[in-house]
Amino acid sequence: MARWSQCQRRSRARGRLAPVLAGGLRPHGSGTRPVVSLSSPIRALQEGGARLSALLVVVVVAFGGPSTVRAQSGGDEILVLAAASLTDVLPRVAEAWRQDGGADVRFSFDATSRLAPQAVQGAPADVFFSADDAWMTWLEDRGVVVPGTERRFLGNSLVVVVPRGATAPAGPADLAKVRRLALAGENVPAGRYAREALEATGVWQAVASHVVRGGSVRGALEWVARGEAGAGIVYGTDALAEPRVSTAFTFPEDTHTPVRYPAAVLTSAPHPELARAFIDFAAGPEARAIFEQAGFLVASGPPPPATPPLVASTPDPISAIRISVLVALLATLAGLPVAVGLGWLMARRSFRGKVLLSTIILAPLVMPPVVTGFLLLSVLGSRSPLGRLLAGLGVPVPFTILGAALAALAVGLPLYVLTVRNAFEAVDPHYEELSWTLGVGPRRTFMRVSLPLAVPGIVAGAVLAFARALGEFGATVVLAGNVEGRTRTIALAIYTLLEAPAARRDTWILVGASVAISLAALVGYEALSRRQRRRLEVHDGR
Amino acid sequence: MGGEGWRGLRLDVRVPLEDHPLEVRLESQARSVAIVGPSGAGKSTVLRVLAGVETRARGEVVVDGVTWLDPGRGMVVPPWERRVGWVPQDVLLFPHLSVRENLAYAGAPPEEVTATADMLQVSGLMERRPRRLSGGERQRVALGRALLSAPRLLLLDEPFSALDRPLRDQLSATVRRVAAQRSIPLVLVSHDEADTRVLADERWHLRGGTLEPL
Repeated sequence: MARWSQCQRRSRARGRLAPVLAGGLRPHGSGTRPVVSLSSPIRALQEGGARLSALLVVVVVAFGGPSTVRAQSGGDEILVLAAASLTDVLPRVAEAWRQDGGADVRFSFDATSRLAPQAVQGAPADVFFSADDAWMTWLEDRGVVVPGTERRFLGNSLVVVVPRGATAPAGPADLAKVRRLALAGENVPAGRYAREALEATGVWQAVASHVVRGGSVRGALEWVARGEAGAGIVYGTDALAEPRVSTAFTFPEDTHTPVRYPAAVLTSAPHPELARAFIDFAAGPEARAIFEQAGFLVASGPPPPATPPLVASTPDPISAIRISVLVALLATLAGLPVAVGLGWLMARRSFRGKVLLSTIILAPLVMPPVVTGFLLLSVLGSRSPLGRLLAGLGVPVPFTILGAALAALAVGLPLYVLTVRNAFEAVDPHYEELSWTLGVGPRRTFMRVSLPLAVPGIVAGAVLAFARALGEFGATVVLAGNVEGRTRTIALAIYTLLEAPAARRDTWILVGASVAISLAALVGYEALSRRQRRRLEVHDGR
Repeated sequence: MGGEGWRGLRLDVRVPLEDHPLEVRLESQARSVAIVGPSGAGKSTVLRVLAGVETRARGEVVVDGVTWLDPGRGMVVPPWERRVGWVPQDVLLFPHLSVRENLAYAGAPPEEVTATADMLQVSGLMERRPRRLSGGERQRVALGRALLSAPRLLLLDEPFSALDRPLRDQLSATVRRVAAQRSIPLVLVSHDEADTRVLADERWHLRGGTLEPL
């Protein structure tokens, strides 16, 4: 076993936010049945359509359009899935590597327990940094990591933190007196180390009843930093990075499995050679200096070289807004024919299995979005037949903007279909019958009567789906990850920024953008719904 | 076709309406048939059966020697191939189209549209939306739209209900003239005996779910 040394570094705080629930908006139930209807003319319709398409063009151009999509999938850059406790330090290592002639690196940071299943599902990532051996072994057992590429050069300590200024427990026995004790999730490495340490020191029974679980270790840290929990068990580096907490004591190494960060190349790696080179660099002397500066334990090696420049690892709000709008537009446009087709089918046809179809369409409205995301990942992940086929065609879904759009679409589709269905139901079927008797068959009747009369309602549905897509979180994070500059949308960026209080201003920019776009969409929806009702209005006085 | 050799109508149809079943047995060689009866008797349903939009209808419909509804095979001729000029009671002009576009909906050439509009005295309203028409104007436009679809059979459901007396007489005279000129047979539904006397050669009474000659 190598010798481990410890250093320290200045702060950065992290936290996390419970995913915001999607608003359960109910489309407008328009039960009006026009009798003799005379209403707003085709000109308004055409103007409306022209305005909308002009807007779409502007937005697509302004936000980079399809070229952005293209840029995501190619190029010499690697994707690293890494434990949340490495959020601060790994991007700086990556920057040093890039300056040293390495490639660009993108990261998806999360609890190891959340990343590992993504890797098994075939996330097209190159490198995996686990926060314990157990998860790495789990990955090995599933043949997800390339044998022989695994390196163990990084370690950490386990500490108890309290809110800054609070009375610090002197030892494990005092933890029983703390109001709430924050730990990482049960399957998260930090949560498991903590449980081991508490059991080894004989206090688990005493504290178990007031344990609260964050998702990743950073979630637990944030609870302590906010004073929600009286104490928490986190890594030594987390305690150093968060100025709002202070360290009470460190658990002795013999009370828990040593904290290690095994790193390995994934078998699904699009760039295995670069992946190997990045791990080698991270295990080398230059990276060692960065790790030590951040407080990590590092296996001994040659003396550290000069410290490379710091690189900020906070999300870029402008990039997040761009990605969000692009994702929402893709979802809205791709969903349009689907919503119109299904909405019309639900409004006008009765067929075997209608209830089943309706249930399937509406399910994402009530299912947790993460479940929707998980199901999508099961179907489209690169280990599934369909996912393999898509990847073979050059359109991989997981961890791409396409995946983000699909997740947003799946979650937004119920509102879309419901609104469009209402729009068609509000059109008196007698218009269609009348059109038939005038010698116009069902298909042309749909184009000339049903569709034009329902257009405001259809656009209202699109607006609602767009707004819902903008707010999507749970399904996106599962299917598309949280990759800066690629799939990190507004919601994901806010989620990430809440772990970096240094960036309050950016957080507020994103929160403001999110609220503004959502409200604008709702105002637009209301206006369009009113127009839909007016369009079908019975004339004044018969 | 409704030419000299008009072979008449034969209906033997049952429609399961919500409150009572409608049994319609009608056989007529007349070029102009009226169905009278109290409101709610199912008069409009008879026209819907002829137009082919009453999907609950079962039985037989033969018009001018052609089978439209067959007891064994169901609907033989769909509504878009029947060429009936249906003017429903609720008029139902397409609200998103102008008067001109409504008149031309079935694809008549512009000269015919203009001529028909002149005949029905709506040529001053061509660019208006239906919402901005009076009840009488809308009825005339709906009649024009039906005539411009080159119908083999005209179905009129309370065609003059929204008109006052002078206009009503004037329009019923117009309908009579046009139907005769183009030899289009017609089926007329009304609760008003006066209308039917001007237009119909033969009158039937719908009562208690069945039809009887009057």
